[in-house]
Amino acid sequence: MTHDVDPKLLEILVCPLTHTTLRYDRTAQELISDKAKLAFPIRDGIPIMLVDEARPLEDKEIKKAR
Amino acid sequence: MKNDMHIFDLNAVRRNRERAMRGDANFLHDWCLDNVKERLAVIKREFDTALISGARDSFNHEKIGHTIHLDLSQKTLPAQNAHPAHLICDEETLPLRMNSADALIDILSLHTKNDLPGTLIQINRALKPDGLFVGTLFGGETLFELRKSLTHAEMQCRNGARPRVYPFVDKQQMGALMQRAGFALPVIDSELITVSYSDMFSLMRDVRHMGEASALHDRTKSFTGRDIFMTAAEYYHNTFAETDGRIPATFEIIFVLGWSPHESQQQPLKPGSAEVRLADLLNTTEITTGEKAKP
Repeated sequence: MTHDVDPKLLEILVCPLTHTTLRYDRTAQELISDKAKLAFPIRDGIPIMLVDEARPLEDKEIKKAR
Repeated sequence: MKNDMHIFDLNAVRRNRERAMRGDANFLHDWCLDNVKERLAVIKREFDTALISGARDSFNHEKIGHTIHLDLSQKTLPAQNAHPAHLICDEETLPLRMNSADALIDILSLHTKNDLPGTLIQINRALKPDGLFVGTLFGGETLFELRKSLTHAEMQCRNGARPRVYPFVDKQQMGALMQRAGFALPVIDSELITVSYSDMFSLMRDVRHMGEASALHDRTKSFTGRDIFMTAAEYYHNTFAETDGRIPATFEIIFVLGWSPHESQQQPLKPGSAEVRLADLLNTTEITTGEKAKP
């Protein structure tokens, strides 16, 4: 069973490196930091905000800040 | 090049903590949890969202509305319930928005931070104004008997000592760090807990089972000779043993409590704003500055 991330937790999370707002990719279960170019995984509804567990983003995945 | 900032090896800290989940020596951890709960109970405030680091077990309190557990590893988080609010992160790079939490509680993890001042500053930033931080950590007196015995043995057997027991922070230093991190109304106190063991080896077994085996970056990774342990155990016994032949082991737990600054908190008055003269209160004549008091 997959859990959803606690909404309150989602609200207060930021990128651990850049302290910028994260994008929540519900299908991929990832929290994306465009500035740090990293995607932090979510397993069983638990965000894993460790840099060595994060996936480096490819250039095309990065959304430029509007 | 050696990086001086890396005192602790994060992966080793994580492995040690995971081991503690299977161990049977969590008595200090449980004691800290109970103590923190008692301290929360007397605070005349309620906290909407609180983050708990290192609780290992589900932490509920009547003063806390919504609890979010955080730790370094999934294995050290409490078992999942229907509505998990769990987070895996390192408090040294705290992934929390500024002014977002009402309280943050830390159970015995601050003593393994490479950058303790930085961690405290980040905690303060994550708290809302008038948010509460409560932390517990091992203090400088912890395992002083073991440290002394191992150093003595190593000096004798190898003519040099290696770091084995953590460099713990002192209570006084912790007070300065809390102020430096910008916490208002900081309170620091500590308690010494003496545990009695049959010998040094059962003490070392307990320390490992607590999840507190050495995670020092420069720890000895090679096998330590039997002679060192035997000499240390003998020294420990000869120097510290009680009359019943058992040996004491001291643990110092430091409690820190501080608030994120807010205008509603008590503030010092501006110099010169006093309404009553001190001399009047003391019923004496005032001597102005510049004039020396007569002997």
